[in-house]
Amino acid sequence: MAFGKKKDDREVETYMKMAPKVFLIYLVIVVFCIIIIAPLVIVFSSSLRSPGNQASPLNLFIEFTGASYAQAFKNMNYPMELLNSIMTTAGSVFCVVIFATMAAYPIGRIKTKTARFLYFFFISGLIIPSQMVIVPIAQTLNRLGVPNTRFTPMLMFITCSLPFSVFLFSGFMKGVPVEIEESAYIDGASLPRRFVSVVFPLLQPAIVSCVITQGLWIWNDYFYPMVFISKKSQYSLPVGMLQFLGDKENPAQWNVLFAACVLCALPLIIVFLALQKQFVNGIAAGAVKG
Amino acid sequence: MAGQTKTKRKGANTSLVFNNRMYFFLIPALAFFLILWIYPVLQLFYYSVTNFNGVNYDYDFVGLKNYAKVLTNGTLVNSMKNTLIYAVVSVVLSNILGLGIAMILNTKIRFKGLFRTCAYFPALFSAIVVGFIWSYVYMPSSGMIASLINLLGGDGSAFNPLGNYNTALIAICLVEVWKGFGTTMIIYLAGLQTVDESLLEAGRIDGCTEWQLFRKIKLPLISSTVTINVILSVIAGLKAFDYSFIMTNGGPGKSTKTLMFQVYETAFTDQKMGRASAFSVLAFAMIILITVIMLAYMNKKEVEL
Repeated sequence: MAFGKKKDDREVETYMKMAPKVFLIYLVIVVFCIIIIAPLVIVFSSSLRSPGNQASPLNLFIEFTGASYAQAFKNMNYPMELLNSIMTTAGSVFCVVIFATMAAYPIGRIKTKTARFLYFFFISGLIIPSQMVIVPIAQTLNRLGVPNTRFTPMLMFITCSLPFSVFLFSGFMKGVPVEIEESAYIDGASLPRRFVSVVFPLLQPAIVSCVITQGLWIWNDYFYPMVFISKKSQYSLPVGMLQFLGDKENPAQWNVLFAACVLCALPLIIVFLALQKQFVNGIAAGAVKG
Repeated sequence: MAGQTKTKRKGANTSLVFNNRMYFFLIPALAFFLILWIYPVLQLFYYSVTNFNGVNYDYDFVGLKNYAKVLTNGTLVNSMKNTLIYAVVSVVLSNILGLGIAMILNTKIRFKGLFRTCAYFPALFSAIVVGFIWSYVYMPSSGMIASLINLLGGDGSAFNPLGNYNTALIAICLVEVWKGFGTTMIIYLAGLQTVDESLLEAGRIDGCTEWQLFRKIKLPLISSTVTINVILSVIAGLKAFDYSFIMTNGGPGKSTKTLMFQVYETAFTDQKMGRASAFSVLAFAMIILITVIMLAYMNKKEVEL
């Protein structure tokens, strides 16, 4: 009992000594977070006003109406764009996971110079910027007879995701014990069988990481849809936002523009809030383990 | 066949279990990668010596004229300078901020999850949405910062970072940092969590100051995290395009024309694909050079630490 009391005293003492420092740390982080979040709060508060309300956006939450949202919803053709976004993102991410795990299998397992070369060959793709190669790509697709549909950007989403995904899966492949595969081999499992039933399930943490990191940029990308898609009905959410480009310097249009911004980001925000832990772990795992 | 026997003799490089038939798994990925990523790069070399306009296949060879033009009209030097400034500022700021916030969040602090979510939140938004939001923030007179200046009694109409030749580039760079540092922070946070607490305890007993603990123990232990973060942000910085495209359209003047913005403008607005290709080839050479130098330097540093 006496010992416990002494310890308490000591803790209180250190706490008192630390208090100004702790306060400073809280102050720094709270101020910092407010600065980071401030534009988003203002955007959200303005989006809840009626389109004609031109009071300074700094007066937070002075009106609550869905009128701006209704207009943005209509201008964007929201349900169609949302559906296009979901289809292209889900389809691309699915293909990336399959193709990249398959490619990482020999690269991570075979220890020859060829495999080593292929590893660096794929990673080197990371430094190629899209804007640089977009015209030759458009021509290649043209020559191959690929029509411009809502699914054309998916080809590029898959291709651009390969370098990082191969890097990620090759890194994780080291963590899949060789012994398990050897015993599967002895039990008579064929190569495809070993990949599907042994290696693929064990790569699950890497797959989560791949889905999150690649899904994030694919969902948010406006560049490829902008180049490949001309029909409005085929737009995804980010490229649909391009129609508001003229409104950004016109304060009279801000409330609708901000409502559109919120609508565009909303699906991802919901997914993020629901799967926060997976997001944080997935982003970190990709970079730290690979 | 000869290669196979040779590798076998050298000692099980490819084994019975992991044999060369595994390379068949590469086919889909390699097909996408070669046709849609590597082949287009090679095509750039070809187009760079033509006067191709991007649409009409009726073009002539013009030799090295495109290269001469790009090098003499100043666009390359200007956009290279802008890209380097953009890359350096965004890399330094997002890594310092990311590491700093990660260190704070790695201490015993309350509401850790809330702070982390706040700091990471901007990373969820599409570049186009971010561009719109910050166009409002930077607006003179009625924008967020200008209104705040007005509120504090200053003159908000004089505040126009995007309209000023000297500040526009830094202004869009800060937007990149705002969106990007959260991801950097999360990676640093994961790196810091791998640091063994007992090593820090040992350091404290030996009388290290907080700075020494950071410099001599934490930093060397997370050196691979630093490397990956710096590399990822340098690559992103050299590809700078989004905010020049959405927020400033390259202006005012040529102050926010980055390499990729210039390529895009030459190819699509000016319809000079030949010249854009020559420009790309030179820009790409520079990107490779910077990446290689950086990789070599980071590797050396990592070993030293």
